[in-house]
Amino acid sequence: MNERRLPLDIIGALILGAALGLFYAWTLAPVQIIDSAPAALRADFKNQYRAAIAASFASNHDLARAKARLALLADADSYAALSAQAQQMLAAGESFASVEQVADLASALRGPPPTNIASSESPTPISFEPVNSTQNVTSAPQETLPPFSTEIPLPLFSPTPRPTRTPVPAPGAPFALVSQESLCDESLPDGILQVMTINLDGRQLPGIELIVSWPGGEEHFFSGFKPELGNGYADFNMAPNIIYSLRAADGGAPIENLSAPSCTAANGESFFGGLHIVLKR
Amino acid sequence: MWITLAAAAGIGLGLLYGWVIDPLQVVDLTPDTLRADYRADYILMVAEAYQNEKDADSAARRLAIFGADPPAQIASFALQFGPSAGFSATELSAIEDLVAALQTYQPSSGDSSP
Repeated sequence: MNERRLPLDIIGALILGAALGLFYAWTLAPVQIIDSAPAALRADFKNQYRAAIAASFASNHDLARAKARLALLADADSYAALSAQAQQMLAAGESFASVEQVADLASALRGPPPTNIASSESPTPISFEPVNSTQNVTSAPQETLPPFSTEIPLPLFSPTPRPTRTPVPAPGAPFALVSQESLCDESLPDGILQVMTINLDGRQLPGIELIVSWPGGEEHFFSGFKPELGNGYADFNMAPNIIYSLRAADGGAPIENLSAPSCTAANGESFFGGLHIVLKR
Repeated sequence: MWITLAAAAGIGLGLLYGWVIDPLQVVDLTPDTLRADYRADYILMVAEAYQNEKDADSAARRLAIFGADPPAQIASFALQFGPSAGFSATELSAIEDLVAALQTYQPSSGDSSP
């Protein structure tokens, strides 16, 4: 009898011991969280870390170092993370200067502008020792950044959402028209007015308030609400056969006589195309 | 005897599982858990930004992620750690400037205190 019950007792003791061990390991004396890496930070702290990297980059223009620091956060795509954060900051009403720093770093990651002052300075990458694996926090792998690319093509999209607040644009020179071209692309919505705002270095500018007006109406919209299309991108839907005027809210001559061009589709039918306008200051 | 040994083995297995195989997940950490070199580098970033912005209020807000200690005290950690971490003289000078600014810094409004 005893010989048959002994294994059960042993198994019971084993299970009880394991339960006690787990209770001790998970509750009484869990793994100490010290010496963690930035990749393990909570999302809001990662945002602050990213903003600090951007602020530092705005000061020292050391892109190599900024990349090394961003790699510590282990974002799948640093450009996307920075762009999304810029939009969140813009929507949250944070200062335009802070938003611009984040957006500028995102633009710098995309590729150097034609006159890039960052690349002329000697980069000083930083390196960190890996975090001790016994503490269950691993350091971030080095990020592979996309090669230099010029402006991305503009795919399908919907109209720019209306902002819930009015960002305060940074003071600066007025915007001037750089280019204006018609878009006869059937894949784009009829009457789309695409606007790209850039600075003298070719970097896209988010948070720029644009005003489009027509006989009997006016509408305000902002660049940067579609980071996937560029931080300086904004769009508006024009109605057929109406003449519009476009200007930046903080200055610059208005661009008059804008209207949806008449285009011919591949099947011979006509449709209203769009316009693509680049503004620079 | 056997029961005691089985219980001890069970405890050992439990500890092995809880500490090694499946320890508590460490995500969503706060910055005060950052390793010293990461913390010092963050302070250096704040100091570099301060060189450009000259805005002690922004610097103090950025440093507040490390807790409620006075911002000058938080920043001075990088001064102590920096030399052993290989910070350059320029970087240490930037941190010194930041510490000096924060030592006389008064929050401009209630929302800027850490």
